[in-house]
Amino acid sequence: MPIFKLCLKIFRKNWSSIGVFLVIFVSLSCIFAFSYSQSSLSKGFTQERAKVALISKEKTPLTEGFRMALAKNADFVTLPDQTEKMQDALFFRKVTYILVIPKGFTKDALNDGTMKMEKRVVPGSAENAYIDSIVRQYWHLATVYAAHEPNLSETQIADHVKRDLSTSTPVVMHDQHAASADSNFITGYFNFVAYGLTIVMIVGIAAVFIVLNRQDINRRIICSPIHSISVNLQIFLAIIIFALFCWTGFSGLGIFLNLKNQITAPIGYYLLNSVVFTLCLSSISYLIGNLVSNRQALSAIANVIGLGSAFLSGAFVPQELMNQTVLKIASFTPTYWYVTANNRIAGLGAGNWAETKSILNDMAIVLAFAVAFLILSLVIGKRRRMYA
Amino acid sequence: MTIVETQNLVKRYGDLVALDHLSLEVKEGEIFGLLGPNGSGKSTSLNCILSLLSFDKGEVKIFGKTMKPDAYSIKRNIGIVMQNVAVFDELTVYENIDYFCSLYVPDKKQRKQLVDEAIDFVELGEFRKFYPKKLSGGLLRRLNIACGIAHQPKLIILDEPTVAVDPQSRNKILEGIKQLHKQGATIIYTSHYMEEVEQICTQIVIIDKGRVIASGTKEELKAMISMGEKITVETFSISSDQMTALRRLPGVITAEYADERLVIKSEKETNNLAAVLDFFKNESITFGRIYSELPTLNDVFLEITGKQLRD
Repeated sequence: MPIFKLCLKIFRKNWSSIGVFLVIFVSLSCIFAFSYSQSSLSKGFTQERAKVALISKEKTPLTEGFRMALAKNADFVTLPDQTEKMQDALFFRKVTYILVIPKGFTKDALNDGTMKMEKRVVPGSAENAYIDSIVRQYWHLATVYAAHEPNLSETQIADHVKRDLSTSTPVVMHDQHAASADSNFITGYFNFVAYGLTIVMIVGIAAVFIVLNRQDINRRIICSPIHSISVNLQIFLAIIIFALFCWTGFSGLGIFLNLKNQITAPIGYYLLNSVVFTLCLSSISYLIGNLVSNRQALSAIANVIGLGSAFLSGAFVPQELMNQTVLKIASFTPTYWYVTANNRIAGLGAGNWAETKSILNDMAIVLAFAVAFLILSLVIGKRRRMYA
Repeated sequence: MTIVETQNLVKRYGDLVALDHLSLEVKEGEIFGLLGPNGSGKSTSLNCILSLLSFDKGEVKIFGKTMKPDAYSIKRNIGIVMQNVAVFDELTVYENIDYFCSLYVPDKKQRKQLVDEAIDFVELGEFRKFYPKKLSGGLLRRLNIACGIAHQPKLIILDEPTVAVDPQSRNKILEGIKQLHKQGATIIYTSHYMEEVEQICTQIVIIDKGRVIASGTKEELKAMISMGEKITVETFSISSDQMTALRRLPGVITAEYADERLVIKSEKETNNLAAVLDFFKNESITFGRIYSELPTLNDVFLEITGKQLRD
């Protein structure tokens, strides 16, 4: 299979020019993956702890219980009961919340619900909201117990409040998009692949055709005893091998970068979509190889097509944010349908046939593009040979 | 045995008739020269012979069989060397020859031997690991030839292989062609350099406007014309009276003076060199070089068509 081997040799020789794009692509992908892994840290919820100064001018079981309840969400800072020192502490952010419990506060609160606490806070501090909530919750419970159980002592009320506050209700969120962060990465990555794969495929495959389509070399091959069908099959096989190699590399990189995340997204669909897109790119590359004869122009053309179609089709910017007219124009490129299919895969529910059908429709459109480009390439190729 | 035979080959490009009932016959062991000016139909006829180009009328037979685009058994025994260098910039000298040889010879061991022989033949041994971009024009032409002949074909077609080649490389290429001929190959050689064709071809066909205007050995071709001798004198000035006197010398066909060069053509079996020397001496005309030549193929072409081969 001399022509097959030759094609592989030309692919190998072209690695230097393809390598530049690969380095750019892999670097951007790593940055992409890193930014996603950073954002995935904020998936959980951690309550902020406020710096609180609690100045209690009385010591009752309830004020002590209150102190302990507050300690769960506050770091206590000791401050003297002097207005100027308190203001300084707030100004220099030594504390964000100062609460002064006056003498006789517990008694007043339990008797008629009056709560005359003095509060000083740093304005606009988010963590103060938690402290306000705890203060309200604790003393509201205490007054409720005092109103409905008048026989209870302060110690008993403090125990009841403590017990009530210690109980919690476990909340489990069941969301069909629970792994949206993971699928966002893999969707973003596979959308981004449209750019890298387009350039690498065009530069790799079209370069082979530019060499083989050189008139005199082509004539030498035609004059040889190798059957024309065998020539075409050998070229076809080489393209398939190259396309498979590129697809494996790009998909493998995506899966590798996503290794630490759970792959809950339907990865099979992403892979299938990218296979179909790779086939389409093979046809486009074949067409470009038949149209372009200047090797220097090839990189520029690959860049224009790769970057242009990726930008227009929403491979870099989500399609939701893009202008409708731009998207309409983009719909004349296979990249648009590839990206659309990826976005649909990201939102795919469990076993929803309507959604799956839409995805398959998008893939079918990309496949139709592939067939159209292939036919166009064959027609142009034949005309070139006729007028050679 | 006839190796290549074309009968009444007609090829038209719209109104232009590129080949006009062209009939050729190349016998085994010949170096068959196809001579003609640029645009005379040399390359078109080769392309039709090789089935690279379809033709409107006629027939091409190679090794006694009709040549068609799918006549792979015929193609197996043909080697072609194109007018332009047709090699891969991505492959080394060795890889290029090996690749083109592999189109004909699948066996790796046998191919290695053939490639080595081809490299030795074109004397590119020290350049075998070089990429074509590193080779000079002459070396590239030699590589081009090696790629076409490595599989040791019975019929070798060379389409102007010495275009834009320095004299040293040209001589090596011509010597190589003679050597291939000695090894038993039949060669079709096209050129518009008459000196080359005269030097190596055993049979010559001169074509113009797609038609054969003369064919035979170089001696036979030269015998077709009336001119027998051409005397060239380099001189600074000569008067019209002196020119008239020269034209009256016995057997002189034409005497023309241009660019400080006087050319006198005489009929066959006429030797006017001594008479011309006497004339210059008697007229006290100073002159530089003076030399006498036998007619060339260009003279043959000029006499038949009224124009120069290199017009």
